[in-house]
Amino acid sequence: MSETVHDTTDVVREPPMPRSFSRAYWEGTRQKKLVLQFDRKSGKYQFFPRPNSIFNGHRDLEWREVSGLGEIFTYTIGRRGPPNFRGKEPYLIATVTLDVGVNIIANIVHCGLDKIAIGMKVKPYWQPLANGTHLLMFEPA
Amino acid sequence: MALRDTAIVGFHECKNVEKSERDIWELGAEILDHLLTGTGFEKQEIDGLVLSAAMTGSANPFWSQTTADQLGLELDFCQTVDIGGSSPLGALARASAAIDAGLCTTAMLLFADTQAAENNSRMRSFNGEWTAPYGLLGPPGAFGLLSKRYEHLYGLDYRMLGKLAVAQRGHALLNPNAVEKLRQPITIDDYINSRMISEPIRLLDSVMVCDGASGLLVTSRTRAKQKQIAKTVVPIGYGERTNFRMSESVVDVTQSGHLAAGKKAFAEAGLAAKDICSFHPYDDFIIAMMIQMEMLGFCKPGQGCAFIKEHDFTHTGDLPLNTSGGQISAGQPGLAGGGVNLVEAVRQLMGAGGARQVKRTDNALVTGIGGIPYGRNWATSTAMILTPGS
Repeated sequence: MSETVHDTTDVVREPPMPRSFSRAYWEGTRQKKLVLQFDRKSGKYQFFPRPNSIFNGHRDLEWREVSGLGEIFTYTIGRRGPPNFRGKEPYLIATVTLDVGVNIIANIVHCGLDKIAIGMKVKPYWQPLANGTHLLMFEPA
Repeated sequence: MALRDTAIVGFHECKNVEKSERDIWELGAEILDHLLTGTGFEKQEIDGLVLSAAMTGSANPFWSQTTADQLGLELDFCQTVDIGGSSPLGALARASAAIDAGLCTTAMLLFADTQAAENNSRMRSFNGEWTAPYGLLGPPGAFGLLSKRYEHLYGLDYRMLGKLAVAQRGHALLNPNAVEKLRQPITIDDYINSRMISEPIRLLDSVMVCDGASGLLVTSRTRAKQKQIAKTVVPIGYGERTNFRMSESVVDVTQSGHLAAGKKAFAEAGLAAKDICSFHPYDDFIIAMMIQMEMLGFCKPGQGCAFIKEHDFTHTGDLPLNTSGGQISAGQPGLAGGGVNLVEAVRQLMGAGGARQVKRTDNALVTGIGGIPYGRNWATSTAMILTPGS
């Protein structure tokens, strides 16, 4: 039998403090919507939200909702967590490449250590936070 | 050429300790005292101070000024360099540029941090929104993600990483300035069996934060000659890259800015990786050294383990590596950690390596790594080639 991995869904997480330029992202998560910054001139998405475009430095960015489907780019197994994760080890953290071409770091839930692999297809899982927003995680698609 | 006109005329290093009972400014004072005594310079001849940033100093936005005041220095050039572990090497490059531009003539470079005893930092970064909620432990987490990707792309023989860990530990046994706790021999099996932190990153992959300080005295070569300084070290090539491939949303984490920084440093020095006599790469994690071997041209990407297998990295070997133990086996004095390997390279080129003196001292390559960004490997990559002065 494979070692049990923790989903971390019972870890106490303070809702993150949005910045003036990331508020739209967090507002979107209230309805479990994944909205990303899209740069119209270059035709590309970027993550995490920034005050300007990483492609050309301008501020011509719009928020677009995306599916959140993607695949695992790489992952690590948390064996020694920060204080609020103590006792929840092992847990999974992955970098996920979304179909729209950005990498996002998040916990992987509902997935055993024997199943996780680079290239595995994933979909969003939304973990509720105390202020009504949600934390983006991923689970096997 | 600005860089080559610079001469390092003195160095000093305090012993690394797990937690300092001495104030950070007292460590700075020890460095200054030894630099003056070792070179014959008068305090009044020092008109520049370049510090590497310190966790201890991070609550004070006037850090370089305040430190100059504590040390009793009257200056024409005073600044802190804040590119993480790249700061000490960056400080040397900036001091060289400042001397060349006439902003100062002789600069004290001070790399001091007492993070273990007194950490005053409060990080304002992406971390609170985008990684902390997931329990990603900053550096070990990022290097766990890097290692797994490397393993996927190329395969990874962890025993070869263990070989580097063992070579460095052997050097720490010969280094009285290394943290005492780390001066115990280890084997490759000890490395493999050490507990996982952020798998596949193990305890013996990782640096241990400690407290300590090191420093250099830097002036122009002309002035060093006038002062009849017997032994000098001259920087002959430098490259620095922050935010490598910043304008890409998906980046290969197994490639670093050392690709760009190394190319620039080697071109300026007129040398290639095969010419390097001793190698002093920044080592926050063992795998970072292997990635740098690939990026700096010692071998091709993906060939790191094969390269490690073929070479002897001990101080008597064909490519001596971090001969004071590196940060992983001598301790990482906070943000001053980049000074550990830099000062060791200077020490070796001046022939002051003692029990661990390397044979070939035509040159040494020192590197820096600074900052953990989001979804990438590290923020700043630096490379500098040093030679003994003529």
